[in-house]
Amino acid sequence: MSPDSAPARRRGAGIAWGLVGPVLLLLVAFNVFPLVYNVVLSFTSRELVGDDWRWVGGANYERVFTDPLFAGALRRTALFVLCAVGAELVLGFVLALALVRGFRGKGAVLAVVLVPMMLSPAVMGLFGALVLNGNYGVLNQILGGLGLPQPQWLSDRGLKFWSVVLIDVWMWTPFMTLIALAGLSSIPAQVHEAAAIDRASRWRVFTRITLPMTAPLLGLAVLLRATDALKQFDLVMATTGPNDAATQTLSTLLYQVVFRDGKVGLGAAFACVVLVVVIALATVFTRYLEHLRRAREA
Amino acid sequence: MKLTALATTLFLAASAALLTACGDDPAKSAGADGSAPQRLVVWWFQWAPADGLQELGREFQKESGIEVVVEQIPLGSYQEKVFLEFGAGRTRFDIVIGDSQWIGRGATKGLYLELTDWLPTVVDLATIHPRAAKYLCEYPEGSGKWFAAPCETDAVGLAYRKDWFEDPAEQAAFQARFGRALQVPGTWQEFAEVAEFFQRPDAKRFGCSLPSDRSYDGLTMGVQNLLWAFGGRWHAETSNRVVGELDTPESAAAIEFYKRLVKLGPKGAERLDYGQVLESFTNGSTAMILNYFAFFPGIHAQFGDRVGFAVVPAHAGRRVASLGGQGLSISTKTPPAQQELAKKFIAWFLQRRVQEQWITKPAGFTANADILASAEFRAKTPYNAPFAESVDTMRDFWNVPVFNELLSVTQRYVGMAVDGELPTEEALKQLAIEKERILKDAGLL
Repeated sequence: MSPDSAPARRRGAGIAWGLVGPVLLLLVAFNVFPLVYNVVLSFTSRELVGDDWRWVGGANYERVFTDPLFAGALRRTALFVLCAVGAELVLGFVLALALVRGFRGKGAVLAVVLVPMMLSPAVMGLFGALVLNGNYGVLNQILGGLGLPQPQWLSDRGLKFWSVVLIDVWMWTPFMTLIALAGLSSIPAQVHEAAAIDRASRWRVFTRITLPMTAPLLGLAVLLRATDALKQFDLVMATTGPNDAATQTLSTLLYQVVFRDGKVGLGAAFACVVLVVVIALATVFTRYLEHLRRAREA
Repeated sequence: MKLTALATTLFLAASAALLTACGDDPAKSAGADGSAPQRLVVWWFQWAPADGLQELGREFQKESGIEVVVEQIPLGSYQEKVFLEFGAGRTRFDIVIGDSQWIGRGATKGLYLELTDWLPTVVDLATIHPRAAKYLCEYPEGSGKWFAAPCETDAVGLAYRKDWFEDPAEQAAFQARFGRALQVPGTWQEFAEVAEFFQRPDAKRFGCSLPSDRSYDGLTMGVQNLLWAFGGRWHAETSNRVVGELDTPESAAAIEFYKRLVKLGPKGAERLDYGQVLESFTNGSTAMILNYFAFFPGIHAQFGDRVGFAVVPAHAGRRVASLGGQGLSISTKTPPAQQELAKKFIAWFLQRRVQEQWITKPAGFTANADILASAEFRAKTPYNAPFAESVDTMRDFWNVPVFNELLSVTQRYVGMAVDGELPTEEALKQLAIEKERILKDAGLL
């Protein structure tokens, strides 16, 4: 029986389905079905409890686009992504530049730098809330000791949002450092040697070699962090709660709508709109990365 | 092919085993089939009275043979867990001790078993304090339709540093500054003056702390003591109309006064949850706090005679305390046999002899009107008399099915007013419009 015979092909297909089938089943059960079900829910008045629901057409979407809470949360989330990821990118890259050269104790320093990233966001949020507590927080104790003002980091309306950004930067800068270090380490030594022979200045080496050659990896890191920051939930929950006008992000608004208010249909519409926003942003990022790759190849 | 079949079989078997392991077999915990020991599961949030109820549960087991397990859920996630549980076909609890505000949702969504016909057969309803009945047990308020039996009755009260108030030097200084004796404040104006007097941040001594947290209901529960006293209201007396009822000069004056008070506390006093209010007092830094009476036994245990308790201050002769407390409700999503066990426990719990035991438990406060009125109860602890007096004046926030949405917007807009993000009048105006929208969407207006 040749390998191309019909029974052999059937057996091959059987094995292939046997191996891929369970994964497909899981994907459908845990990804496709919830997504489709969520879209269906978004056109209903379903609540967390009770069976008295009805089809409401686009009413939930109308509410999403007219509710100032959604617009506010969207603006706040965008600002959060921009500021937190921007700061993490700059700080992470600077830290990576400092760590890329070998020195005694580099391993230990790197391990310490990476610790915040290894902890769960909920733990970091609670820890941040303790550090930034206006009365007994470590930060204010230090500021008080130095005779400096002790702001109310988590209750002052002008500071709350920036405190959450600060905790996020504290947590995720090491991630950027790690990726940037990988990018910096991947630059062939010959390129730097050639630049040195050409007597290129440090600034020129940085702008013409270091930055362009690490850009694709940094772009990927920004993409990963931005999509993650768009879902910001844990830090806000642990510091100011889901219903604070100054810090409410899309995810905490969603939590408030579904789990506190019990409006599952409305929450599903919120989630669909958020999903579209995330997909749109991810598409922009991936196209940018593709553009970088092509430019590099050219 | 055999390999494929084997892989598929193994996968399905593993999945089934995983799902079985993850699932909770309700029948296992039910144990109401006669052969297995009878077991009743009660859900409440994590705090001292739940320990007291567990102790009483052990007494009940001695008398009836029915085991009572009081499962304590952290307060921060209690509401979400309870209502997610109600979303399932069968709840893991037989009795839920739900917040007073949940009763509308529990009653109208068919989650709480109606007790209207059964309850009068086991307890004289006249012995239940009318305000506890109205706000903790009936839906709609005062309708005579019972969906809960009173468990923990609670109200906001005042705790103060008696030793500071009785200090001759402080008394003389206060007399010199305000031209009157330093006494427990009877009015909100007096409260503010006493708080101003004790506000000495440089000496790490502060005037007052009030609930002001934004994550759940702290700010609302703190503000409404003043709102009602100043003549404001959340809605019209006889309807759910909000516009023109909430956005009034009286409501605005109450919030403005509240803003004044939060400046007379420790740093961050504009954002204190109940625990932080308590802590500001127990750390010895604050002269007066407003908090629920259920916290006061702990304060008394720590401070002894150095602390005093009183009812919330009044304004223009009006005194209203925010209601706290919870009722015992039977889940409709537990088997009938378990519901019968739940009824047995509730009937036992409401007996006067058991209520007399209940009030000896840490922060166990009763709704039994006879006990509340008794001189013996009032004299038993320094906080019992003001508590009994507060029960006569307590009122609750909305308890309609959409209370949570109403609470969310209240916390948000009142918070913006207190933080100065919006002028108070404007915040109240927007809040009233937003509340009417929620009520209209829910068919309640």
